[in-house]
Amino acid sequence: MLQKKICMLGSFSVGKTSLVRRFVESIFDEKYHTTIGVKVDKKVVPVDREEVTLVLWDIHGEDVFQKMRMSYLRGMSGYLLVVDPTRPQTLEDALALQTRVREAMGAVPWILVLNKCDRIAEWEIDLEPIRSLEGSGQVVVRTSAKTGEGVEQAFSRLAQAMLHSSC
Amino acid sequence: MPPESIYDALLSQEAIALFEFSDGGTFAPLATLPVWCDLLWQLGGQTSLQLAEKSPFLENFLTEAEQFWASQGSGVLNSGYWVEQDSSGKQFPLEASAFWLAGKRVLLIRHLPDTFRQQQQVFQAGRDALLTQERLVREIEKKEILLHCIIHDLSQPLTSMRSCFELLLDKKLAPDAAKFVLTGRRESQRQERMIRGLLEAFAADLAGEQSPGQGKAVSADLISCARRSVEQFVPAFTERGIRLILAPYWDFLRGARVVGDAPRVDRIFGNLLDNALRYSPKGSAVTVGLEDGGPELTAFVDDEGPGLPTDSSNEHIFALFGQGKDRPGKVGLGLYFCKMTVERWGGTIGATNRANRGSRFWFRLPRAPQQSAASPPGSAVADAPAVPVSPDTRRKPAGQALHIVVADDDEISRELVIETLRTRGHFVTGAGDGAEALAAFERLQPEVLLIDQHMPGMDGLAVARAIRQKEEQTGSAPAILIGWSGNAAAEDERRAQQAGMDALVGKPFDPKTLFQLIERPAPASSRESAPAGAAAPEDLRAHLTHMTAGNEKLARRLVVSFLKDFPRRLSMIERAVSRKNADGLASAAHSLRGAFAIFDAQKSVVAARNLEAMGREHRFEGASDEFHTLADDLSRLERELRALFPPPSSPSKRHRPSRRRVRSGGKR
Repeated sequence: MLQKKICMLGSFSVGKTSLVRRFVESIFDEKYHTTIGVKVDKKVVPVDREEVTLVLWDIHGEDVFQKMRMSYLRGMSGYLLVVDPTRPQTLEDALALQTRVREAMGAVPWILVLNKCDRIAEWEIDLEPIRSLEGSGQVVVRTSAKTGEGVEQAFSRLAQAMLHSSC
Repeated sequence: MPPESIYDALLSQEAIALFEFSDGGTFAPLATLPVWCDLLWQLGGQTSLQLAEKSPFLENFLTEAEQFWASQGSGVLNSGYWVEQDSSGKQFPLEASAFWLAGKRVLLIRHLPDTFRQQQQVFQAGRDALLTQERLVREIEKKEILLHCIIHDLSQPLTSMRSCFELLLDKKLAPDAAKFVLTGRRESQRQERMIRGLLEAFAADLAGEQSPGQGKAVSADLISCARRSVEQFVPAFTERGIRLILAPYWDFLRGARVVGDAPRVDRIFGNLLDNALRYSPKGSAVTVGLEDGGPELTAFVDDEGPGLPTDSSNEHIFALFGQGKDRPGKVGLGLYFCKMTVERWGGTIGATNRANRGSRFWFRLPRAPQQSAASPPGSAVADAPAVPVSPDTRRKPAGQALHIVVADDDEISRELVIETLRTRGHFVTGAGDGAEALAAFERLQPEVLLIDQHMPGMDGLAVARAIRQKEEQTGSAPAILIGWSGNAAAEDERRAQQAGMDALVGKPFDPKTLFQLIERPAPASSRESAPAGAAAPEDLRAHLTHMTAGNEKLARRLVVSFLKDFPRRLSMIERAVSRKNADGLASAAHSLRGAFAIFDAQKSVVAARNLEAMGREHRFEGASDEFHTLADDLSRLERELRALFPPPSSPSKRHRPSRRRVRSGGKR
């Protein structure tokens, strides 16, 4: 069976682990549990009538305590760049990280995930750069790990992009 | 190889799995594997293991490890933590290390539940704290934005009020009415101080400007500040039947300077006097004094009011939103501002009950070092009055009249500023938003633009940037750009400066400050460009410059055209007067009147207007005198215009016919 490695990237506490848990186990925990290191999960999904095993690398968020090792990204077919729109800094950090990843790994399919859309009234990010990204063809998905909204869509659109990518 | 006993000891903890990497790409256990290895990867009894197949994380790490072993690298290659999960869902935090040991390529995998848990607790606490900090910072930012919005909204009507009072004071008012207007102006100034105090207290609090060493090293003449404040408050105290006294023993301390800037020291005195005014009974006295404390100077305000409540502490009195038990209508910002400011300068502040009756509010500031005894030249914090003396708005500007564009989306504020500037003698054009301001700039090329910072669409900063860009592209002389904002804090000033503005004026604007900013002497270059020996008055030159937006070619064309045309029209008027042709008189006078306005020939305008009216009313009495008045003034204008723009050749030849014609119409 075809296997594809997906990395979950973004600042700490943006909801990477929650998105994986929602996607793999249909579980959501309100309490924030910080991730140390890496946790790998798998899920088989149909993509274009083909069964694909998604190997999900939930990588700790970057902050003053931990920096991400680029070696974790080796063999990656795509990544979800997760942002918490209630914290504008996470968008800036995500876009800076995306630049570093592109420099290290080349052009790899990625999706910008605006998580926590169940708290959209609290969003504080500037949507202009998001619209600009969308305008240039970048896929942006609004998700809520809490309600499940957009979660399947985010992974499935990335899976499709990975399958159709030459990377 | 270490002795078997060491392996046994390590493995007995069931924490470590040791493997040797072989050339075939497989791993052989170097000792009995711990139970968790079996739980995770079912390795029991195998001697040649494909570990990369057991875990995606290990697969990734082993690629790196093989490169490490191949390079014969010294030291240890660590994987960092990762978490594996067995079939029951139990999680195993692991860390792998690759190294060379006694010629063997060794892979060590440790199961570290305790270390992992401890580290997770530390990181969790740290990240929770970071999240809290982020949230607090965002809350503070939101409050700051809200505060600025409130300040802006409060400032707008205040601007209008103050402008109204200033304009009213220009009128001839009955003494009673003038007194009311002065009271209104004083109270609006007081409200302005309160708003600014509010803004500064919060700004200082938010910025955490606690160190006296931060910012500008300035000093203030404490006695001057006290005297100014007392002078300013005397009317308010007198109105309430309270005597405000300057303590008589000040003089020996004359010139003593303290750390601090004068406008804020004024405000501290103002807040303390405001406080004394509220609590002093009619017929009592309030005394402002100064005491020498060696390295410090103490200023005090003594009142004869009820004194401080026995249960109140200084901490409470000077706290943010701190109020006494019987303090209606005050939110407790004034004294908080005093405390914040005094402490920022390294001073102290306090309040005590006096022996007989009343209270003493005092503040103590360090004496300024000798080298900072004087404010730096041009410093904005020199000992200028905190509340400027009302300017005489009827006075004409010292220099030339200016063409000014006033941009503000608030119609009342805009119109009041326009009126103030027009009263001053300037030519003023209004603009309702940034786009209109930019269009007016391009169309009129004004010398000055007064731009509100907060306008919908294109804001003041964007307008300033666009204007500076256009000036750079066209090489035109830079206009004076004055920002106009309810928030004129240091940060706002910095932004305004970056956008290319020359100054930022706080709302409500002080006309005197504004006049000083915009009424600079005409640049030497423009004076030098005047024709040598020109006798034309500066007023005419300035007016023409305005009317043509500084386009000298256009001005010359207008003058040449006028000089060529007006004798014919003057003759027409003369003929119409002599023949009593009413329609002809009205028509000729009307057409000539328009031309006069271009040259600001007010006397001619009036004469032509009168002649036009006579024609329309078929009234010829006095028409001849009016014509001569017109002809004489035009003769003057002609001389001045010719001096301003001398003809390139044969001036006398071209000059003569028109003079003849004027004279021919000048028979009395």
